[in-house]
Amino acid sequence: MTVRRVLIFAPTAVILFLLQSYFWVPTYEEGTRANPARLHEYITASIGDATVLNPVLSADSASSDIESMVFEGLIDRDEALRFRGRLATSWQIYEEAFFYVNEHVSIPGVGRAGGPAVADLLQRARGRDFPANPKVKASLENIEQIVVIPAREFLVTRRGKEVKGQEKTEVKIRVQAPARIKLVLSQVDQDLFKNLSAILGKAYFASFSGQDDLTIDGEAWQREKPEYAQEILPATEHNPIVVFHLRPGVRFHDGHLFGANDVKFTYEAIMDPKNLSPRIADYEPVKHVEVVDPLTVRIVYNRLYSPALGTWGMGILPEHLLNDEAMQAEALRLGKDPATFSMRESSFNRHPTGCGPFVFQEWKSDQYIVLKRFQDYWEGPPNYERYTYRIVPDLLTQEMEFYAGTIDSYSVRPHQVKRLEDDPKYQSFSGLSFGYTYIGYNMRREPFKDPRVRRALGMAIDVEKIIDFVLYGQGERITGPFVKQTDYYNAGLQPLPYDPQGALTLLEEAGWSRDRDGWLEKDGKKFQFTLITNNGNDLRKAVLAIAQDAWRKIGIDVRTDLLEWSVFIQERVDKGDFDALVLGWRMGIEPDLYQIWHSSQTHPHQLNFVGFQDQEADDLIMKIRQEYDHDRQVAYCHRLHEIIARAQPYTFLYVSKWTAVLDKRIVIRDRDSEGRPVYKQITPTQTGNFTFYFNKWIKLAEVPYLTAEG
Amino acid sequence: MLSFIGRSIVQKTVTLFFVSVVSFLIIHLAPGEPSQVDPLNPKFTPEMVERFQKAFHLDKPLYVQYVYFYRDLFAGRSVSWRDNQSVLAKIWERFLNSLPLFIVGTLITWTLSFPIGIRAAIFRGGLYDRSTTFVAYLLISIPGFFFAYLLIIVVVNSFHVPVIGMETFGLGEAPWPSLFMDRIWHLLLPSVLGATGGIAVLSRYVRAQMLEVEGQDYIRTARAKGLPPEQVHYKHALRNALLPFVTMFGLILPGLIGGSVIIESIFSWPGMGRMAYEAILARDYPVILTVNFVSAVLVLAGTFISDLLYLVVDPRIRL
Repeated sequence: MTVRRVLIFAPTAVILFLLQSYFWVPTYEEGTRANPARLHEYITASIGDATVLNPVLSADSASSDIESMVFEGLIDRDEALRFRGRLATSWQIYEEAFFYVNEHVSIPGVGRAGGPAVADLLQRARGRDFPANPKVKASLENIEQIVVIPAREFLVTRRGKEVKGQEKTEVKIRVQAPARIKLVLSQVDQDLFKNLSAILGKAYFASFSGQDDLTIDGEAWQREKPEYAQEILPATEHNPIVVFHLRPGVRFHDGHLFGANDVKFTYEAIMDPKNLSPRIADYEPVKHVEVVDPLTVRIVYNRLYSPALGTWGMGILPEHLLNDEAMQAEALRLGKDPATFSMRESSFNRHPTGCGPFVFQEWKSDQYIVLKRFQDYWEGPPNYERYTYRIVPDLLTQEMEFYAGTIDSYSVRPHQVKRLEDDPKYQSFSGLSFGYTYIGYNMRREPFKDPRVRRALGMAIDVEKIIDFVLYGQGERITGPFVKQTDYYNAGLQPLPYDPQGALTLLEEAGWSRDRDGWLEKDGKKFQFTLITNNGNDLRKAVLAIAQDAWRKIGIDVRTDLLEWSVFIQERVDKGDFDALVLGWRMGIEPDLYQIWHSSQTHPHQLNFVGFQDQEADDLIMKIRQEYDHDRQVAYCHRLHEIIARAQPYTFLYVSKWTAVLDKRIVIRDRDSEGRPVYKQITPTQTGNFTFYFNKWIKLAEVPYLTAEG
Repeated sequence: MLSFIGRSIVQKTVTLFFVSVVSFLIIHLAPGEPSQVDPLNPKFTPEMVERFQKAFHLDKPLYVQYVYFYRDLFAGRSVSWRDNQSVLAKIWERFLNSLPLFIVGTLITWTLSFPIGIRAAIFRGGLYDRSTTFVAYLLISIPGFFFAYLLIIVVVNSFHVPVIGMETFGLGEAPWPSLFMDRIWHLLLPSVLGATGGIAVLSRYVRAQMLEVEGQDYIRTARAKGLPPEQVHYKHALRNALLPFVTMFGLILPGLIGGSVIIESIFSWPGMGRMAYEAILARDYPVILTVNFVSAVLVLAGTFISDLLYLVVDPRIRL
């Protein structure tokens, strides 16, 4: 019967056809191990795909992985995390400081004085000794040049504040600026004006007000006059200046010569509101970028902000491919409106051109991105010919591909570390991540206002056990808010001991005692609160349960709650509506703690949501972000770390450790003075970064026998 | 007939409108913001968030946003917020990737389910019937990802061939027959996994449907006439049992765009499901809403087609 035959034949045919395809597929053996080209290719995998391959626009880690290969910044950090030159060969940092001559106060020993007289006074003060304050002498010696800027008159227009029901109006302000003194300093000096007041009088800068020098038309704006005066005529101004000397002869992948105009263009692209760059906040303190000559850029800042130097590690864009002309031409080619066409829509973002070690070749969405080496790379071309970035969203699949040899490195999950670390086929690297997990207490609420209570809560939790059992030992304790591998971290501080008895003693001091059922009680009220965290993070969930259990043991009634991420952030964290929470921070190397720890950042939607306030900490935070001298910055950071560790606004729990495994056949190939290849084992840097010398890596056909050195 | 088609098109357009409104509302009522205006990124100042909101029209009232969105969609101008790529181009690319998976999966499901189900019905209560029932329920209850992992590990460890992705990675220059067959091989596992659930369910339906028809009077009559059992089963019973499946054929249309998040993620398959899932995580509204809209259109088109098919195959129905 035909129907029956068809019914049996059809599925058999389909299945046989599908199965026979097996014989056409190369095995892993043929495809990878026996393929000589495979040795010149490095393949790595990522869970997510890149979005935009343009360092000005992207904000995700996959995009920045690729960008770091294709683009190059002016500077980056070396093995010890110090800055080193890349596209810049060297740089200088100095300062121009300004202050308005205040003719309303009399200067001690001189009386009221005009611009030239003040300049003269400062000139004469140099070289004098100030036994009461040696810092004043240092500040004066730092001054290289004193210039008097004569009084002048000018007009400014400002956008008026929006009033309901009215159009935005322009405010015209006539300014009669008094004479100003410009000081050129050989080094940035944040205490300059404080020290100068030893000569000019305590009230000299503080009492200056530009209000009388402004004339504003229109009654309505008079009230805002002090604000405008503050903005247009600030009593003092620091203008730190960075001058970068660029590397000559560096070329983009298309052969175009790199120069100062590209640096200026990259800055302008970030600031252009049309581009909606997520990096705009980093460059907001920049006043302007000047091209001094094709190989020199001068960057002037409008205030002291030391983390700004690090932002020049950002990849530099090629101006000739992205300037207005190029954009207009592309808009016309695509048939789009040239007036609204921006870099965001440009096809550059999927075919980037930079001056990094690898040239972009191909991107297949959600499959792979292929780069090939740049023969004209200024530091010499990398050893690998190709760099392939595969997108493999599933971790188990990644692992299988790694074992099969179609991926060269694999980030090991904590429970696998023990198994893979000692595998003779692989070399493994591990290090601490840049981030920590903590329990934060809402310091606006009772009982968390009392530092003894916060300390006691921390002492009741056995963090070592969390690290051992939740993280499989892949973590370390942390005592404060700085990255543990940097010297900003105060290694002299000891973590809180695990001591439930001590915790009870502390709580007793704070007025809490145990009632008949064993619960802690103060003034008839039970010690009771809710600990929350977000859903979907198993580690935090485990910490939640462990903390609840540990605190119950000393008689605290803790409830827990898991919330969906956006509800957790928007309804609880942003509004400050919580008792205690488990959360983590990811940090950069820069020690700027302003957003998370400064007392001005405690309002809703800001990041100091625990409400930490401390005068000394505030001062230190400001000093750290204004200090350009590394050693002094380190000293401030150590002190700040101590203050925060003492106050325990968080119970700092742990930093997790990452481990990565690589095929053992991958080694470093260098050349000795006679050009012969020298093979070395890959060694991680001080911070655990094993890919630091990536450009020198190569894969050998056999597992090499190498001595530790040479 | 024509009036039925006209009525049905009007009805479906109205339904589509409501679907568009409701899906738009649900997405905007759900907590969370597009990742570009993520308020927890410490580098984001309120001004920047405001500027992004303006660029995405998020500062406008919802009905204005609704009009803007569908205007852009129909003009083919809507772009993804994540990477500024045209949404329709993105969906088309992914659709082409998911299509072979869908075709092979459907082919396996529909060719296998019928013989399995029919045989089970004919030998009802026998060993074969009971064992297929057991296997069917087993396949329905095993989670797909678990099954997928088992299969990958077994195939990779015992046959040493790659199974991940759409093609063997780094195959490079090879003659086109091997490139083609390589693609077929990579289709095999994910489509078999996608089909297992379908086979299990569909073969059960076939069995139930056959049993019902076999119990009818006309089958008994046919047997009583002395027709050979084969003719009774495959001509009289099967044809009548097939009717409901013809209508089901229209309903598989929406599956074209659905894709499977889990299978596609495990096999690194750059398909629709993964794109939609990632768009949801990043709150990429244009992509989510467009996928939603297109699948609503396909669902409605599918029901329409199955109505028409019914009309064609069942002479008892007249409109």
